[in-house]
Amino acid sequence: MEKKRIPKLIKELTKEHEVFAPVKKESLVFFEKVSPGSEISLDFQNTTKSPKEVLFPQTEILFTYDIKKNGVEIEKAPELRKKIALLGIRPCDAKALSLLDKFFSSGDHKDFYFSEKRRNTTTIGLACNRPISTCFCTSMGGAPFGKEGMDLLLQDINDKYLIETVTEKGDKLVEKLPWLEDAEKADIEKARDLARDAERAVTSEISGMSVTKKLDGMFDNPLWDQIYKKCLGCGVCTYLCPTCCCFDVLDEATTKWKRIRIWDSCQFSCFTLQGSGYNPRPSGKERMRQRIMHKFNYFPKNHGENFCVGCGRCVQECPVNFDIREVVEGISTDIWRKKNG
Amino acid sequence: MDNPYIPSPAAIRKITVENEEKDIKTFELVFNDPEDLKDFRYKCGQFAEISAFGAGECPIGIASSPTDEGYIQFTVKKVGVVTTALHNSEEGTVIGVRGPFGNGFPLKAMEGRNVVIIGGGFAFTTLRSLTNFILHKTNRDRFRELTVIYGARNPGELLYKYDLQTWKQRDDISLNVTIDQAVPNWTGLVGFVPAVLKELAPSSDNAIAIICGPPIMIRFIMPVISELGFSPEDTFLSLEMRMKCGIGKCGRCNIGNKFVCKDGPVFTYKELQMMPKEH
Amino acid sequence: MHNAEESIREAAKKLLSEKKVDLIVGHEQGTLPLRTTPCFIDKVEDVPKLVWNENCDANLSKYLIGRKERMGVVAKGCDARSIAVCTFEKQIVRDNVVIIGAPCSGLIDKKKVRTKLEGKELLEATIEDEQIQLKGEGFELVLPKKDFVCSSCLTCRHKTPPIYDVFAGTKVPEVEADEFSDVADLEAKSSKERWTHFKEALDKCIRCYACRDVCPLCYCKTCFVDQTMPIWFGKTTDLSDTMIYHLVRAFHVAGRCVDCGACSRACPMNINLRELMKKTEKIMKERYNYTAGLSLEKVPPLGEFKMDDSQEFIK
Repeated sequence: MEKKRIPKLIKELTKEHEVFAPVKKESLVFFEKVSPGSEISLDFQNTTKSPKEVLFPQTEILFTYDIKKNGVEIEKAPELRKKIALLGIRPCDAKALSLLDKFFSSGDHKDFYFSEKRRNTTTIGLACNRPISTCFCTSMGGAPFGKEGMDLLLQDINDKYLIETVTEKGDKLVEKLPWLEDAEKADIEKARDLARDAERAVTSEISGMSVTKKLDGMFDNPLWDQIYKKCLGCGVCTYLCPTCCCFDVLDEATTKWKRIRIWDSCQFSCFTLQGSGYNPRPSGKERMRQRIMHKFNYFPKNHGENFCVGCGRCVQECPVNFDIREVVEGISTDIWRKKNG
Repeated sequence: MDNPYIPSPAAIRKITVENEEKDIKTFELVFNDPEDLKDFRYKCGQFAEISAFGAGECPIGIASSPTDEGYIQFTVKKVGVVTTALHNSEEGTVIGVRGPFGNGFPLKAMEGRNVVIIGGGFAFTTLRSLTNFILHKTNRDRFRELTVIYGARNPGELLYKYDLQTWKQRDDISLNVTIDQAVPNWTGLVGFVPAVLKELAPSSDNAIAIICGPPIMIRFIMPVISELGFSPEDTFLSLEMRMKCGIGKCGRCNIGNKFVCKDGPVFTYKELQMMPKEH
Repeated sequence: MHNAEESIREAAKKLLSEKKVDLIVGHEQGTLPLRTTPCFIDKVEDVPKLVWNENCDANLSKYLIGRKERMGVVAKGCDARSIAVCTFEKQIVRDNVVIIGAPCSGLIDKKKVRTKLEGKELLEATIEDEQIQLKGEGFELVLPKKDFVCSSCLTCRHKTPPIYDVFAGTKVPEVEADEFSDVADLEAKSSKERWTHFKEALDKCIRCYACRDVCPLCYCKTCFVDQTMPIWFGKTTDLSDTMIYHLVRAFHVAGRCVDCGACSRACPMNINLRELMKKTEKIMKERYNYTAGLSLEKVPPLGEFKMDDSQEFIK
């Protein structure tokens, strides 16, 4: 597909989908709902916030209700049948969606809201030709041209996008776009070269695969006394993270009562505070340990993979430059153990 | 797709003030839709998310026994916003119920064995459910000797006095109720639960111990339990954690890679020994 | 600023080896260009890690609050001023803290750099004399440093800490900056325009609380946003909720804020948070001729009650 056809693609997609794509706002880029004619930005490093918020918004109404004299009338959430298209999602973020899918659909009870939306979502991703210095997707089992979580993957080959179909959903979508041209062999080769170059360009490498085992039995290690010290306990890392998905549930009233869920963060002091005043994670140390252990030990134990995709957002935006790569690498290579004698 | 976040409306049929401080009440609920009661098939030791509409939702252990027909009961201590709203509710108020959640007590493993139930303070609610379940005529034969040790600060803080009275009159249960310090007119045991347990020394032969209580009580009980010879596999504890969703999604009740809401709240002592000490 | 680096290290070494402190809180090289990161040093051999440059942007007084150890702290003017406020408010025990005052020539604003680079990634940055050199894939720029200095530093008068125990480097004379020049725009707006302006700015807020958590004056054990009995306001990112959060926080730090700019630097959504604070600072100056954090003894105007206060706001 020629690049100048992007507006046409958006137009086609909006016929059946709510389309979300990266939109530039001042010096930041966000996934926003777009309409035909919207200016979208596919020439970006990665969005400031991750596209998880399209499927798992920061504030989500679970249901509304009316308190009547003789009871309560619960109005169930609208059926989440709307089709969503995520255009321009990067491979790390698409992988994050598939991890979230794994988590939210596990166990006896699926997370209705996420799972329904995910089922109705088509991802039309964009491969990364030029990963930046904080990208470490390859250390987390991903790749700049990674296809996990993608239905279609656009690959930028200069003036054209090579479109690769990954799933049946992708195939079906392509069938509806008869104006797409057949790919030439040279295009495919070109994309393959670019993929290889991009993978090499991921210069930030950490031992993401061995850390899980290393963390076994490290719960009581003195390293946690060290690493949390500079962390101030804000929610930047967890809120920008494409996989972090802890939430709080509460009731609020405007014109009607509604039960909502909102993002929450394991880094906040009241996250585990019990009604009695007891808090099993009383200081930054326990909270930092939870974040690292959850991503690199607990989640892999339950679901077989790290709960981090190496997008680098937390590295870039942490107010005190807490760098999760240093911590993971330090644990994997025993640096922290040595430091603590 | 089934939406596990939607509560079923249920009306409060009866409210019982349980203690002298009046901060613990038992709510007896009847579902508005009888179908919801059918769907709410629970085991002793499970919990539900209770909605006080206009306030919010919180997890509460189920205090009734599955053998109680037509209603369910929850005993609630007034601590936060939701529990306060529940306490302010009157009979007839409609609240919401989601559940049942959690694994519950290991009833299968308990069959054919002696059962020692140990509880302290407010945490006795699901143990009461279990005791009533075992004592029910349809179940009593499936279990052997039943020993219950239950402690509270003072007589006024003992929950379910009506049940305690009934149980006392039965000969198929060894009921041992204790209070922390002696007071006039108290004829029962005096002393902390761990001390009473040590004194009574129930046999661990072919026995299972089920424990629920405040963290400090648990800490002193565990050495006694080991001393009495209960194996970590046959010792079960029910835990409490801050929870929101009840289904392992909201992410706050984990201990290591286990979620108290869906993998618990009942764990063997053996499991707990392998889990991080973060509860 | 570099001339102070060696002096800071010497001071730190001396304090540690003479066992005057248990710990030095300072800055070390970060993992990204234009970044440093707070560090805690308890061994003399680790002292060479300490750096001092235009990227030492963390307000380290945050790390002294509620601590029992004896700590040496590397402090810019604004760090020292917030230490003074927190000391007066009994959050920092003055006797436990040795302030290593250091001169500041203004911090580099990463966000201004980012805006300039329009999405290109910065891989290397060097600051020399009054120039900043930015390098990345396919570009190399040499630009005047002053264009990339934090707004809070542009209006700062106290580049030499007003309070310190040891001074490292050469003192910078007090600058006659127009302290409130950046409030002019805000003041020129009608109240309706101001409302729109704040609405637009705060609409971006994701309530990560980075502004609160980096703020040296936000030390409440339980912040009002976290209180549940009662819940004071909603927890969502609806504008009405975010607005309450930011306004109440602004009120709470009014008369105490030293304009270190940490809130604005921390905001991942690029909200210019200090704008609101700066206006309150100006009001304090005009009404009470008071500047926060210059003294350990002077009672702040909002911390005392006078019978002859005009109190026209009660009318």
